[in-house]
Amino acid sequence: MEENVNLTAERSLEIITEQIERSRNVVAKDTGQLLYLSGLATMGTAVIVALVNGLSASPMGQFLWLILPFIIWGIKRIHDKKQVQAPVSLVGTLVVRTWWSFGCIVIGFYLFALIWNILVLRLYDNLTTATQAMVTITPVIILLMGMAVAVTGHILKRRWLVLFGILGGLLVAICEYSGVIRAIIVYSVASVKTIIVLNLITPCLSIFLFSLIGLVIPGWMLKKQNP
Amino acid sequence: MMFPALDPLLHSELRLAVVSLLMSVDEADFTYIKEQTGATSGNLSVQLDKLTAAGYITVEKGFKGKMPRTTCRITPTGTEAFRDYVKALKKYISAKK
Repeated sequence: MEENVNLTAERSLEIITEQIERSRNVVAKDTGQLLYLSGLATMGTAVIVALVNGLSASPMGQFLWLILPFIIWGIKRIHDKKQVQAPVSLVGTLVVRTWWSFGCIVIGFYLFALIWNILVLRLYDNLTTATQAMVTITPVIILLMGMAVAVTGHILKRRWLVLFGILGGLLVAICEYSGVIRAIIVYSVASVKTIIVLNLITPCLSIFLFSLIGLVIPGWMLKKQNP
Repeated sequence: MMFPALDPLLHSELRLAVVSLLMSVDEADFTYIKEQTGATSGNLSVQLDKLTAAGYITVEKGFKGKMPRTTCRITPTGTEAFRDYVKALKKYISAKK
């Protein structure tokens, strides 16, 4: 860029827009990298939880989800050390705060649901009544995750990211909540024991699926769009 | 119709790019500004000095670990000047239409 003082009004406006857009793109690339890595970590954790649940035929693996925030925190630390960090901007701050709020709500809700469900199982003698009183965790988390992705898309002005968040979140959450995924498994599997085990695995499958649609693919696309 | 005069300090390609960039971030280091504007180190230093002398930005020299680091930040005067500049630009453009 030269020391050109004979600028037209249009060129001046172009420079201003260009710089604001550049700044947004730097944040978008940074966000893309983190969405991608967090998505892979979530998918990996879903596989481990599913394996533990499946092999032990109990929901014990669910506790492993509590490690995920620490894994993501570690990834962010390594990422910040390795990469030239984007300067603190309003756009970047808004993205970070969106995901920070998401993390706080999800961890709080997950802990509440976990304690509530354990209490319900201990208090009720009848398993059917206990199951009805239990809190469904996975669809709520998927919807919240979809919303965080959509808000990130709005902040970064990437309409496709908003669509990924809304459609991906709704699609996977509805499938999980309505039991579509479970129904397919029950329909295709005959053994009762296998059905019980697969019931413990399906929430992991939904989270795995949404992590792919809502985090890994958009993260990869953001990275690719802003080289 | 009288047009407001455009601030000569901002009416330069590189200085305008630097101030626009600093408007969207809390602070930015020299390397980042150089990378984003595509300017040479020498030219950028000269323009940063001019902006500092006018009180539009502050330049802080320090260290990040063992590496020297020059951090630039926009001042309230700089923000005000940028706002006035954009207002004046809008008047020029709308008058043309």
